[in-house]
Amino acid sequence: MRRLFRSPWLEVNVMLLILVLAYIGLALISFGAETPPDGMSGGAIWGWLFGFFFLSFAIALVAVVGGIGGGVLFTPFMLAFTSVDSLIVRATGLIVAMFSGLVSTGPFMRGGLANLKICIFCAAAYGIGAFSGAQGAIYVAKHLGAAGEGLVRLALGLILLTLAIYFVVGGKKIEWPEVKRVDGFTKWLKLTQPYYEVSLEKVIDYPLTRAGGVLFAIVGVGLLSGFFGLGAGWAIVPAQNLIMAVPLKVAAANSGVLLGMGDCIAVWPYLMMGAIIPLFAAPWLVGQVLGGLLGALILIRVKAGFVRYLLIGFMFFACFGLLTKGLSMLGVIPPIPIWITGVVFVSIFGSVIYVIVKYFKAEAQQEEAR
Amino acid sequence: MSTENRPEMPRAQIVYGEIIYWIAIVAAIICMIGPVIAMSSVEDNVLNPHYLFASIFDGKDAQEIWSLADGGFPGGHFYLDNFTTGDGFTQFGLALGCGCAIWGLLAAAFCYLKEKNYLYMFLAVWVVLLIFLSAIGIVKGH
Repeated sequence: MRRLFRSPWLEVNVMLLILVLAYIGLALISFGAETPPDGMSGGAIWGWLFGFFFLSFAIALVAVVGGIGGGVLFTPFMLAFTSVDSLIVRATGLIVAMFSGLVSTGPFMRGGLANLKICIFCAAAYGIGAFSGAQGAIYVAKHLGAAGEGLVRLALGLILLTLAIYFVVGGKKIEWPEVKRVDGFTKWLKLTQPYYEVSLEKVIDYPLTRAGGVLFAIVGVGLLSGFFGLGAGWAIVPAQNLIMAVPLKVAAANSGVLLGMGDCIAVWPYLMMGAIIPLFAAPWLVGQVLGGLLGALILIRVKAGFVRYLLIGFMFFACFGLLTKGLSMLGVIPPIPIWITGVVFVSIFGSVIYVIVKYFKAEAQQEEAR
Repeated sequence: MSTENRPEMPRAQIVYGEIIYWIAIVAAIICMIGPVIAMSSVEDNVLNPHYLFASIFDGKDAQEIWSLADGGFPGGHFYLDNFTTGDGFTQFGLALGCGCAIWGLLAAAFCYLKEKNYLYMFLAVWVVLLIFLSAIGIVKGH
């Protein structure tokens, strides 16, 4: 009981209380409000605001655990099931991608699961890439055309497919990478920082390597992100994990922190041009903050295997989107109907849930055997 | 390598995390209250919520939606002149949250400066500069 009055549960409870009061107040006001001609009724507005909050909460919960921005789930959903303008969807998508990362920063930094030095190092590189990408986007788009953009998406999809397959077969090597040799540049950066791993109940000190390689990779990720307005979470986790040997849970936590930091750069142009509509974006922000905080508390406690399976699901889903969009832009296939995307989503995450349940059963049996 | 004692986290990391965390929470609370204010006095907003939501779900773009306001889009920092309106107050919450990394990174840079860790101080200031350039409209998206 006393725990409920201590951080972080105290702030969660305060937010929940204000949220419940706000939605009750909003319901009382909205349902009684007179609807002007050509306007939306107060009841419908309340329904949308509540629905958006609920969906945002669910997206944030899984996005933080997987170390991705929620945009990979939000954008297809909004474009598929609503008639909202695509620029408004993309702009609100940034709010969705960044706020779960921002609020999860607190618990991750306190517990040491995220590493601020790695995040700042990567954000500096990501910022250069994203800045150059955004500035050169119009020029390059002119020269690349739809076919060029399609080829880039196809190439990214194939890279991601390879990574996802490696994540499937890599097992423990992915969760806790081994470092045989630390190079001079990485040693000079002093990036390593031991932390207490709650799921293993011990302190983990992880050596890192190839920081120069990750610098180039993150500049590249930022560049593509700036060119095409693509989300970057799915690329940041494998880049840290496979190149620099950052343990998977740390890479996922860093990715959340980094998305929060990096999207502070990306979001302002949209805010300044009016593409973020405050009353429309507000419930998404609230859902991300509450869901992101709970997601962070879950990530601190879960085993790395759980994160790996969830991330594999996200990588395959993002890969499907990149490959089909790329092929469609090249004119090889027609645009994919949204119901197929829905079926693929349900199939991938149905399999992920099945594997996770099996994983937990196996873990429980191992515990019993001990 | 693993040991059994919980390591102490660097000061810059704790300070950054706390600043970001609390600003995000305050921004969320503002965004919970903002829509209630907006619906309680629909005329006292930059955009009337009834028309705003109808336009959004009619598929209108941002420019068409803001054309419903007197004088069109009043600029990204319109909360400065409309702080007490529902949408102005909500925009303030959004702007506060979207700029929180500036404050967190500046504080972290100060901690690194005190530790004489000039590399990370410089990198933190560099990221602040990028956010600042973006917030004043120099970095543009597409």
